Amino acid sequence: MPEAGLPDFAADLARALDALEAPRVDIPVIQPAEPFLDMAGEDLRRRIFLTESETGESLCLRPEFTIPVCRAHIAENVATPRRYSYLGQVFRQRREGGNEFYQAGVEDLGEPDEARADARAVSEARSLIAQLTPGADLKIILGDQSVFEAVVAGLGLPAGWQKRLIHAFGNGPALDAMIARLANPDASAQPDASVAGFLARGDVAGLEAHIEQVMQETGYSTHASRSPAEIAARLIGKQALDATRLSPGALDALKAFLALDVAFDRAAPALSDFARHAGLDISLAQQAFEARLDALSERGEDLSSIRWRAAFGRPLDYYTGLVFEISAGAHNLVLAGGGRYDRLMELLGAQEPIPAVGFSLWLDRIESVRAGK
Amino acid sequence: MTLTVALPSKGRMKDDAIAVFARAGLTVSAIGNDRSYRGRIDGIDDVEVAFLSASEIAREVGAGAVDFGVTGEDLVRESLARADERVEITARLGFGNADVVVAVPDIWKDVDSMADLGDVAADFRSRHGRRLAIATKYWRLTQSFFSTRHGIQLYRIVESLGATEGAPASGAADIIVDITTTGSTLKANHLRILSDGVILRSEACLVRARKPGHDDDPRVAALIEAVRSAG
Repeated sequence: MPEAGLPDFAADLARALDALEAPRVDIPVIQPAEPFLDMAGEDLRRRIFLTESETGESLCLRPEFTIPVCRAHIAENVATPRRYSYLGQVFRQRREGGNEFYQAGVEDLGEPDEARADARAVSEARSLIAQLTPGADLKIILGDQSVFEAVVAGLGLPAGWQKRLIHAFGNGPALDAMIARLANPDASAQPDASVAGFLARGDVAGLEAHIEQVMQETGYSTHASRSPAEIAARLIGKQALDATRLSPGALDALKAFLALDVAFDRAAPALSDFARHAGLDISLAQQAFEARLDALSERGEDLSSIRWRAAFGRPLDYYTGLVFEISAGAHNLVLAGGGRYDRLMELLGAQEPIPAVGFSLWLDRIESVRAGK
Repeated sequence: MTLTVALPSKGRMKDDAIAVFARAGLTVSAIGNDRSYRGRIDGIDDVEVAFLSASEIAREVGAGAVDFGVTGEDLVRESLARADERVEITARLGFGNADVVVAVPDIWKDVDSMADLGDVAADFRSRHGRRLAIATKYWRLTQSFFSTRHGIQLYRIVESLGATEGAPASGAADIIVDITTTGSTLKANHLRILSDGVILRSEACLVRARKPGHDDDPRVAALIEAVRSAG
């Protein structure tokens, strides 16, 4: 008898996963909540099912698999490269659809050939979805944060602004607000009178000493939170940030880049045309981009069926490069999502950088596409 | 059917609410002794008054257990998800004024706005090995202001049920989201409200549970009209 709620195609999917050279992992349903909240932010709190252990530890029903799979990998100190697959229930508070549904996916940890690993993730996700939804018209959208990072660096913005823009990548309204602000800086902001003198004289040591003295006088610890050195450094950097204005040419380049939306077989020439017109040297990012393109070609993927959207990203700070989504059906349901999250393993406590890429499939949505909804 | 109006059960809020009702021509009296938790409106038989704590009132109106309540907008928006679908703020009453604000240590001279705070939050983990910690009892208001309005995700809420303004100095949190009336408590604790850090300008409100039966109930319209004219 099938497990309650498990879709009827689960056995086929399990066999397909077994063929992927990615051993299945078992992840407990009850998980410590901290790592999820720490990685994804407080906003997640409203969308997960939280409870508490008898000793006060915050626990939740697993809302996804990537973080627990990565934590298990780190805890067991497994050699890389290593791939894992999973298939099981996840629990989230959703406005639409049930609160418990199934996900399956693959995490690929430590593969040094990033182009190959990226292409493999896209290709495996596409092929699994194609097997499960025969005849469905699949839309694949792909984005790449590392290209955006190269463009932003090429525009010669101060480091603080680069960070802001990269942090907002994937969040359209936030990015638009920043671009508007870069076109029209607000020159009215003046530093606080108590520090203006130090700033005008460029007296960093004096500024730090002043901040430290005020903190001590007002009973604030100089090390529990932001230190005098950190506040002083950002005060100095902020003057440059506030004054930063992008030239009309650079603004146009940024907007032109974010508007790029082309079929993937046209993506390499579109990117190099863009770089030439904008006068930007982003050749390293271009090479990586093209290597991934080639790797997808070698796997036999039809590049004309994939769209590259330059502004497509996820505003989570552990995503670093590739992101993709596969959708289908009348309502364009997202059936699979994935991406590269090179920063996650270290954030979770890995001792050294471990490149990582993965994808997950939404089985409830696949089921509705199969049912023709 | 009896209409139930929940009023604050103690303190200034209770006195001010009863005064507004009196100006509206609705004399509230307690049933039994002064400390009773039930009351009536003189001359109107089918309206019942329940005296509850202000935060209970927000919850009870949200659940539709009472028809009307007088309570702070901050409590309504904090205790109810999608508050506007469940309740209607029918009148602002001009007392119980308080702002829910984001305040940082005044010595953070580089942080004037939410955008500055966003920069600090984004870097916090790599500098300090932990996320920026916000002490507050306003979980919901904080989350929607930071996440939805300002796109700031990377912070942690540290629950604080009292003396929130002391959390940054004691090291329990880095910044706070709290309620303030005059700002003097924040100042005394060397905290400063961000230039765009006012989450909500709250005051006491007459709040109605959205119940279908209210639409053609003349008592409902009359009560709203009377309180509005007195508010």
